[in-house]
Amino acid sequence: MGKIFKTKLTTATIVLIPACIGINYLGKLFASLLKLPLWLDSIGTCIGACLGGPVIGAICGAANNLIYGLTTGDNITLIYAITSLGIGLVVGILARMGFMKTFPKSFICALGGGLAAVCISTPLNILFWGGTTGNVWGDALFAATQASGMSVGLGSFLDEIVVDVPDKIITIIIVYLIVKGLPKKLTALYDVNAETERLD
Amino acid sequence: MKSISLYVEKGSWLNKLHPYTKLLYILTAIMIPLTGGKLWLFPVMIVSSLILLLSGKIIKRALPLVGFSFTLIVVIFLIQGLFNHDNETVLFSIGWITFYKEGTLFATRIGCNILNMLLAFGVFVLTTSPQDLVDELEKSGFSPKFGYVINSVFQILPQMMATKDTITDAQRSRGMETDGNLLVRMKAFLPLISPVVMSSLINTRERAIALDVRGFGRKQKKTWLYDRPKYKWDPVARIILVALMIITIVWRVL
Amino acid sequence: MSMIMIENLKYKYPGTDHLALDGISLSIEKGEFIGIIGQNGAGKSTLCQAMVGLVPQFYHGAYGGAVRVKERLAEQVPVQELCEDVGLIFQNPFNQLSGARDTVYGEVAFGLQNLGIEREEMKSRIEKVLKQLDIWQYRDRNPFDLSGGQMQRVAIASILVMQPEVMILDEPTSQLDPEGTEEVFRVVDQLSKTGKTIIMVEQKLEKMAKYCDRLILMQAGKVVDFDTPEKIFARDDLNEIGIQLPAFVRISKQCGLSNPDGTHPVTLESMIALYEQQSDKENLPQKLKPEMKQTVRTQSSKELFRMEDISFSYQKHVPVLDHLNLSFDQRTTAIIGQNGAGKTTLVRLLKGLLKPVSGTVYFGGEDISKKTVAMLAGKVGYVFQNPDDQIFKYNVLDEVMFGPLNIGMSQEEAKEKAEKALEMMGLSGKEKENPYDLEMYERKMVAIASVVAMDTDVVILDEPTIAQDYPGKKRIGDMIASLAENGKLVIAILHDMDFVAERFERVIVMAHGTILADGTSEEVFAQDAILKEARLQKPYMTQLMERFARK
Repeated sequence: MGKIFKTKLTTATIVLIPACIGINYLGKLFASLLKLPLWLDSIGTCIGACLGGPVIGAICGAANNLIYGLTTGDNITLIYAITSLGIGLVVGILARMGFMKTFPKSFICALGGGLAAVCISTPLNILFWGGTTGNVWGDALFAATQASGMSVGLGSFLDEIVVDVPDKIITIIIVYLIVKGLPKKLTALYDVNAETERLD
Repeated sequence: MKSISLYVEKGSWLNKLHPYTKLLYILTAIMIPLTGGKLWLFPVMIVSSLILLLSGKIIKRALPLVGFSFTLIVVIFLIQGLFNHDNETVLFSIGWITFYKEGTLFATRIGCNILNMLLAFGVFVLTTSPQDLVDELEKSGFSPKFGYVINSVFQILPQMMATKDTITDAQRSRGMETDGNLLVRMKAFLPLISPVVMSSLINTRERAIALDVRGFGRKQKKTWLYDRPKYKWDPVARIILVALMIITIVWRVL
Repeated sequence: MSMIMIENLKYKYPGTDHLALDGISLSIEKGEFIGIIGQNGAGKSTLCQAMVGLVPQFYHGAYGGAVRVKERLAEQVPVQELCEDVGLIFQNPFNQLSGARDTVYGEVAFGLQNLGIEREEMKSRIEKVLKQLDIWQYRDRNPFDLSGGQMQRVAIASILVMQPEVMILDEPTSQLDPEGTEEVFRVVDQLSKTGKTIIMVEQKLEKMAKYCDRLILMQAGKVVDFDTPEKIFARDDLNEIGIQLPAFVRISKQCGLSNPDGTHPVTLESMIALYEQQSDKENLPQKLKPEMKQTVRTQSSKELFRMEDISFSYQKHVPVLDHLNLSFDQRTTAIIGQNGAGKTTLVRLLKGLLKPVSGTVYFGGEDISKKTVAMLAGKVGYVFQNPDDQIFKYNVLDEVMFGPLNIGMSQEEAKEKAEKALEMMGLSGKEKENPYDLEMYERKMVAIASVVAMDTDVVILDEPTIAQDYPGKKRIGDMIASLAENGKLVIAILHDMDFVAERFERVIVMAHGTILADGTSEEVFAQDAILKEARLQKPYMTQLMERFARK
C-alpha cells in the first residue's frame, strides 16, 4: 500500500495543483459554453490524481473547493470539498493500481470515482439540504421518490447517482484520452521513482 | 486583469480585522444556531451578519452571494413542503397541491442555515485579501508550498480563462462546429479542453523551473516584506466571539 | 578559479535514446560575456539548465561528467541553493512570473523572501534593481498586466535582485516584439558593463556579435568551437551547422571586406571603420546591389479582400481601428507594428472572428458578415500565434488532417494534402509522433502545416517566425513563396524586419489602429519619420545602405 500513496512534494507537483484547479474551472466553462448537460468540473482533479497519485489528487480536489468557496463566497462549493477530496483520492488509488492503463479498465476507475462522489455527497445533501442536489433532473427524481414514500436516504442516493455517475464516467473518459496523449518529457516529472542514472 | 476574488478594499474596520478573527466569526455564526437549537437564533445571526456587512460598506456586493442559493432554497421548500415524511398538518393548498407544516418548518430551518452560512462567509470573503490570508497562514507555520498553491490560483486562473476564447477561435478557424446537436457539441469538447490541459501542463514545467531558480522550497526560514499592523479590536472581537460560543454551549447543556 | 567549469558533460533526457549533451568540456572565467549559438535542438537550453543544476535534478534522466559553479557541483547542490550563485532567465516571460504575487514589487521580492533576506536589505535591493531596469514606475502594477518586454525585465530583475555572480539568459527576446526586444537588450547592455559573468543564448546573431567576448558554437549536443565572434563567423562550415551569418559579416564577405587576420567585421561600427580605411570606396554600394530582392509585383489584378470604412473596438469609446479602408490583392503582404497597434484585430476581422462595429469586409466581392467562421474556414486559413492553443491530437498527421476533414475533404484527399503540407514544413518522417513530444518550434510548424493543408485561397500567419532558427525561417519563407506562386494570398504579422524585407512584396505599417505606410519594403523602410512613429527598426541591410550613402 505504501507504494500507492507514495508522493513527492517537488516544485513540479506543487505547481501542478493550481494548474489542475484551473483545468477544473475551464472544463466547467467549456461544458456550459457548449451547453452540455454535464458539469465536467473535475477533469483537473482527476488529471492531478493520475499524474501525482492519490495524495496530490486529494489535495487538488479539496483545494479546488476550498479556494473557490473561500473567495467567491459560494460556500455550497465549500461543503463539497470532502467529495472532491474523495474523488481525487479514489481515482488516484485506482490509477496507481493500473486502472487507467487501457480504455476498458478506465471504466472501473470511472465507476470508482463516481461511487466515491455519491457515497460522500449523499450524507452531505441530507445533512445540509434535506436530500436535494440542486440539479433539476436529480431533484425531480428525488421528489418522485419522496412522493412515493421511499426513505430520504435512498431517494437522495438515487438522486446523487443520476447526477454524479454519468458525469464522472464522461470525465474519466476525457481524462483517459488526455493523459494517454501526454508527452513522456512531462509525465517523467511526476514519476515518484525517477532517479538520475550515471553515464560514466 | 479581472480578479476572481471578491475582496474589496474599503478601508473599513472589517478590512483591518485579522483574517483569523473573521474566520472565528464564521465559526461562531454557524455554530450558535446549530448548537442553540432554537429557530430564532438563525434570524439573530443573519441580522448580525447583515449589520456587519453594512458597517463594512459591502452589503451591495453581498446580495449576489445570496442569489446563488435562491433556486436551491426554492427547490427545498417545494420538496420538503410537499413530500417530507413527517408531513401531517396541512398548511395550505393551491388546487391539488398541498403544503404541509412539518416539511415547511424543516425547509425553513435548512433555508435559514444556508442563508446564515452564506452571509457569514460573505463577511470574510468580501473583506479579506487572499494574499493577506496566505501571509498570515504562512507566518503561523502553514507550509509556503501550500501558500503558493492558494496565491497562484488567483493569478493563473485569469490567465487560463483568457485562453478560452483564443482556443475556441483557433478550432473554429479550422472548420470545427461549436453549435448543433448534442453529438456535434460533445465532439467539440475534446478539441477545446485538450489544448488548455496540454499548454497549462507545459507551462507548469516552466513555472516550476522559474520557482526553483528563485529558491522556492528551500529549507530555510522565509522573510516577509510587511508586518500586519496590529489592530486593537482584534483581541476584543475574539474574546466576544469565544464568549458567545461558550454561553451557547452552557445554555444548551443546562 | 574558473566561474564555471564543465568536464566531459553528457546528458540524456528520460525516455529518449540520444544524448542531448555529448561530451562537453569548457570553462568560463569571471566577468566574461559568453554567447551560445547553434540550431534549434543543438542542446543550447539543455546546457544552460545544466549550469544551474536543473539538469539533472529537475528532469532526472542519465548524466555523466561534472559541472562546477564556483567549485560547487551543480549535480549535487540543490537548485534552490545554487541559485545564489547562478541565475537563469528564459524565453517565455509569462511563465517566469511566480504567479503568486499581484504586484511587480512583490514579484521581485519573492526570491529574496525564499532566501530569507532581512526586510530592510530586501527593500533597498528591490528599489535599486527596479530603478536600474527602469521598471520602478510599474512597481504597484500586476505583473501579468505588463507588456512582454516589461514582463521580461521584471523576470530579469527578479533574478538580478538575488545577486548571483553568473546570469544565464536563454533566448530572452525570442518571444518579444521589436520594442520589447530593444528594452531587454538595453538591460543586457547595462549588465555587460557591471562585471557580472553573463551567458546568453540568442538567435539574433547581430546582437551576439556586438556583445559577446566569446561564442560557444554548438551542434547536435557537442561544442564545435569556442572562440571570439570574429573567428567563429569566419568559419566556412556555418551553413551546414545551420547558422546564418550576421548581416554585416555576410555583406563584408560579399564585398571582400576583411580584417588583416582574414576574419570579417561583425558589427556595423567595425564594418564602417574598416571601410573607411579602404581605398576603393565607390565600389562597395555597387557590390551590394545583388543582395537586394528579386522582382516584386507592385500591383496585382485580383482583389481578394476589401475593407470599407471599418471601425472596431473591444470596449466602448476605446477604438482599436477607426474608419479603416484597405484592400488586399494577391501580393504577399507583411503587416508590421508594435504590439497593440491593431494588427491582430485587423486580420481577425478578415477571418470573420471579429465583427466590425461599423463598415463592411468584402471577400471576393461578398460581404463576409453574412457568413459564419465555419463557412469561411475553407476559404481563409489562419495560423494562430501559439500552436498550443490548437493542438489536441495524438499524432502529427491526425492534427494536420483535422482541418481538411472538417471542411469536407475526403479521407484520401485530406491525407494527401496533409502529407504535402508536412513535407513543405520539414516534418516528413514525424507524422506518427506526438505533437507534444516535439519542441515548440516544431509544433509551430505543425500548426502552420495544419492550416496550409486546408488548401485555402488565403493564408494568414500571426508571427510565424517566433522561436525559429535560420533553417526554420528559410523554410517558412519558401513556403510563403510557393503559396504565392500558386496564386494564394499570404498575409503575415511579423516582427522580424529583415525577414519582411527579404520575403514580402507588400508591407503595411500599423500604429494606434491606423495605417501609416503601405508599399514595397524599399518604399516603406525609406520613411524614417513613419518608422519612428511606429517605433520600428530598419532591416540591417537598409541601415547599412544608408550609412554608406551618408558617407
